[in-house]
Amino acid sequence: MYTLLSGLWRYIRQKDEYNVLILGLDNAGKTTYLEQTKMKFTSNYQGMSLNKITTTVGLNIGQIDIGHVRLNFWDLGGQEELQSLWDKYYAESHAVIYVIDSSDTDRFDESKEAFDKMVTNKTLETVPLLTLANKQDLEGSMRVENVQKIFISNAQHLGEREHKMNGVSALKGDGVDEGILWLVEAIKRNSLCRPPIQKDIRGT
Amino acid sequence: MERRILILGLDGAGKTTILYRLQVGEVVTTIPIWDLGGQTSIRPYWRCYFSNTDAIIYVVDSMDRDRIGISKSELIAMLEEDELKNAVLVIFANKQDLDGAMSVTEVANALGLTEIKRHKHQIFKTSALKGTGLDDAMKCIY
Repeated sequence: MYTLLSGLWRYIRQKDEYNVLILGLDNAGKTTYLEQTKMKFTSNYQGMSLNKITTTVGLNIGQIDIGHVRLNFWDLGGQEELQSLWDKYYAESHAVIYVIDSSDTDRFDESKEAFDKMVTNKTLETVPLLTLANKQDLEGSMRVENVQKIFISNAQHLGEREHKMNGVSALKGDGVDEGILWLVEAIKRNSLCRPPIQKDIRGT
Repeated sequence: MERRILILGLDGAGKTTILYRLQVGEVVTTIPIWDLGGQTSIRPYWRCYFSNTDAIIYVVDSMDRDRIGISKSELIAMLEEDELKNAVLVIFANKQDLDGAMSVTEVANALGLTEIKRHKHQIFKTSALKGTGLDDAMKCIY
């Protein structure tokens, strides 16, 4: 009886763990987006104040649980010299979130170049991708449809992977839930290609 | 709010110069910062200082290609300590004023930072001698 109960307990506490990479140029809003996500999906989360966030030149991490799924986020620095470190994370990533600053049209070419380099990387071939046209709260920001036209030129561009483009305001939190919930389902659908890191997390 | 910050790194990386530099600015004068020596014989004692640490400044000599491997293994070993689980890790790729210093990407690769996936970290180019890069780096600690 004990074995049965403890087995059941373990089953309940057990989570399928997946890694999600957050990429994009510096100042796109990746860290703000991560903090906002943590706030939305963690009860009683005392986040850092969003306007105190500084440039990431390394790695921020975050973790949220949605049902039986645990997402580990890796938010990487977006500066040019740090972009060469991105691909070190590809093999272990179950999804990618690419963040675009929709108000900074001057840097669209630069962002598109980094985006194309990422999507054409073989290691990420089947990995679901959520592209975010961020900063939709700012006046003069480009609308999602137009950002999409610029970044995703045709249907073949993204290959076999599941993709979704969303307009968000990481600062205000608009559109954040929707994208994450889609991503969780896409990750599950892709779990034959990229199985979860299954872990017993009784200790936490 | 008082914050406890450890400055660690191999000998000759520039820890003491950094500490000296930081104290010249008024911001950190009242904050206890522990500058622990980096010579082999005293490295095991690092862990005596780990409890209640808010941030670790890990100083790397960007010119010292020979010993960056040792620097890497010390760092990895240190991060396995439970008491440092929640500490922010800030890497100073120091001695950037010297010609031929490793770039921030080279240092990140050589230290194996991309293998540290459970720990928040930041990496900055610094020159303790010239005092450059330190302000930016300290901002992410406070």
